[in-house]
Amino acid sequence: MQVIILSWEFPPRIVGQLADYVKELSKQLIKSNVETYVVTYHDYLTGEYEEPEGVKTYRVTNPVKTHIGVLTWVLTLNQEVERVAANIYYKAKKQIDLIDAHDWHFIPTAVTMKKALNIPFVYSIESLENHRSHGADSPFNMAIKSIEWLGTYEAEKIVVKSKWMSDEVVRMYKVPLYKIKVIPPKSNTWMKDIMETYKSLQEAKFSNVS
Amino acid sequence: MSRDLTVMMLSWEFPPRIIGGISPHVFHLSKSLAKSDVKVYVVTCDFPGTPPHEVADNVEIFRVDSYKNPSPDFASWVYLMNMNMQKEAADIVKSLDGEVDIFHAHDWLAANASIGLKHVFRKPLLATVHSTEVGRRNGIHSDYEKMIHETEAWLTYEAWKAICCSNYMVSHVRWAFGLPEDKMVMIPNGVNAGTYTKTENQDLSLFRGKFALPEEKIVLFVGRLVHEKGVHVLVNTVPKVLEKVNAKFIIVGNGYMKEQLSNLVRNVGLAHKVLFTGFVDDETLRRLQKCADVSVVPSLFEPFGIVALEAMAAKSPVVVSDTGGLSEIVEHDVTGVKVYPDNPDSLAWGITKVLTDEAYANGIKANAHKKVQEKYNWDKIAQHLKAVYEAVLKDYSKSIWV
Repeated sequence: MQVIILSWEFPPRIVGQLADYVKELSKQLIKSNVETYVVTYHDYLTGEYEEPEGVKTYRVTNPVKTHIGVLTWVLTLNQEVERVAANIYYKAKKQIDLIDAHDWHFIPTAVTMKKALNIPFVYSIESLENHRSHGADSPFNMAIKSIEWLGTYEAEKIVVKSKWMSDEVVRMYKVPLYKIKVIPPKSNTWMKDIMETYKSLQEAKFSNVS
Repeated sequence: MSRDLTVMMLSWEFPPRIIGGISPHVFHLSKSLAKSDVKVYVVTCDFPGTPPHEVADNVEIFRVDSYKNPSPDFASWVYLMNMNMQKEAADIVKSLDGEVDIFHAHDWLAANASIGLKHVFRKPLLATVHSTEVGRRNGIHSDYEKMIHETEAWLTYEAWKAICCSNYMVSHVRWAFGLPEDKMVMIPNGVNAGTYTKTENQDLSLFRGKFALPEEKIVLFVGRLVHEKGVHVLVNTVPKVLEKVNAKFIIVGNGYMKEQLSNLVRNVGLAHKVLFTGFVDDETLRRLQKCADVSVVPSLFEPFGIVALEAMAAKSPVVVSDTGGLSEIVEHDVTGVKVYPDNPDSLAWGITKVLTDEAYANGIKANAHKKVQEKYNWDKIAQHLKAVYEAVLKDYSKSIWV
C-alpha cells in the first residue's frame, strides 16, 4: 500500500498537536509496511528528504511570498503541494492508493487529485474552524468552513479523534454517520483501526474500477 | 489515428459575462481557433441565465460554480473561485480521458487553477498576460497588490510561454517579472471587421441626428472615464478645437471622472457641445463609431488599445496618444494621427487636422481599414497562436517531466 499524507505542520515545523501526531502516524505506517510519503510546508527546508524511520518527506514553500491572511496563503500553497503530490504519483508509477489529508489546508489538493487521478482520500480532522474561531462567521471564516465542508463531502472516509468531534461534524456539515470513523490516538486499536480504514478505501477503489 | 490539437482555455469571463477585455478576446480567439481545426474547451465562471455546458461556434463552454458566498476581498474570491474551477476542470479533463494537449490561462485570475492542472495532468501551460498589477496601479503599494503581483509572476514562471498583445506589453512584462526573451510571444489582439460591414449601406443620418446637428463634426471618445484613459485631456481640447471647427464631442462610457468633467464643461458654457452618453449597447456603439468624423484615444497608459482598432475597422479616422500599444497600432500620417500624450495642444492639433483636411482623413481611414483586415484579423491571429501551440507541443514531446 502507498499513501500520501498531507499536513501543513510536520516536525521540525510545529504549530500545534498535529505535527507530532502526523509524525507518529507516518512512523507506525512504515512499520505496518505502508509506503508513506508526507507532503508538508516549510519556509526554507524544501525538497525531498528521507527520515531515519523511512518516511519520505517532501517540504514545499509558498510560491507567493506576500499574503493578506492565512486563507490566501493556503490557497496558493496548495498548488505547490499538488505539484509535489502529482510528482510522487507519477514517480510511483501511478500506484498511490489513497491520500490522507489532515485538517482543511490541503483539501483543495486532495479533491483535485481525486477528480483528476482517481485517488480517494481520507479527511482527518484535528480541529474545525467553528471551534477555532468561536463561532465567528465572517466571509473569511465562512470560506474556511466551505473548504471543510468540501472535504467532508468529497472524502471517502472522515477520521476524527473523539466521539464528541464526530457529533460536531454531523451537526455542522450534515455528514452521514457511516462516513465517519472515530479513532482515538491513545487507544490500543489505533493503528489497527487506521489500517482498516485505509484498506476499506483500497477495496472501494478496486470495486469502482472493476 | 491523429486527432485535432486540443486546448483548454481558462478565463474568469466569457460572453455573456463581460467585465473587461478578456471576455471578447477569449470569445473571438476560441471561435477562430475552432475554424482552424483546434478543439477548444473554455472553462469559465457561471453567469445567470446561461447553461453550465453548451457548444457554440464549435467551441465547448463549461461554466463552473464561481464561489458565491460573500468573500473577504476580491483576491480571496479569485483564489476560492480558482479552487472550484480547478476541481471542475479536473473532472472535465478526466471525462475526456485526459485528451487535452495544452492549458491556456488568461491573466492571474486563472493562475491557480491552470498551474494545478498543468502538474496533475502533466501538460504544458501557456499564459496570456493582458495586464499587470504594477501597470494598473502604477506601482505596487500594499501587501494586497504585492500578492497579486507575485501571483502574476508565478503564473509567468510556470507558463511555457507568456503571450502579450503588443511589443510594449512584451517589454513591460519582461521588466515586471524578469522573464527571459525566449519565453515571450507577441500575438496582437484582433477586431472583428465583419460587424461593421453589416451596417455598411445603412442610412445613418437619422441616427446621427440624435447626437449632433448636421453641420457639426462628431469627435468620439469611447472608454472608461478614468485618469489613465486621458479623457480629461480631451475635455481640455474642446475650446481649442471649437476655435477652428464646429464639432460635437461625444463621450461614451462611465467612470469616477464623469461628474467632475461634466461639471467642468457646464461651468465653461460648453454643455451643448459635449455629450456624455454613459454606457451604450453594442449596436449604438457600432453606429456611433461609423458616424464619427474622428475617433480619439487620448490614453496616458494603454497596454493595447482595442478601441482604436474598432474605430479603424469602422472606417473612422483615429487620433491617438503616442504611448503603449497605441504607438504600435497607428503609423503616423499613414493609418492615423499620433499626438503627444497628456498634451491638449497636441491633441487639438491632431483633431483639427483630421476634421479640416478631408483628403488626409480619407487617406488614413482607407489605409487603417486595410491594415485592420490584414494584421488584426482574428482568423490570422488564431493561425499564429495555433503555430505557437504546435511549437510548444513539439518542445514538450522532446522534454522529460521529472
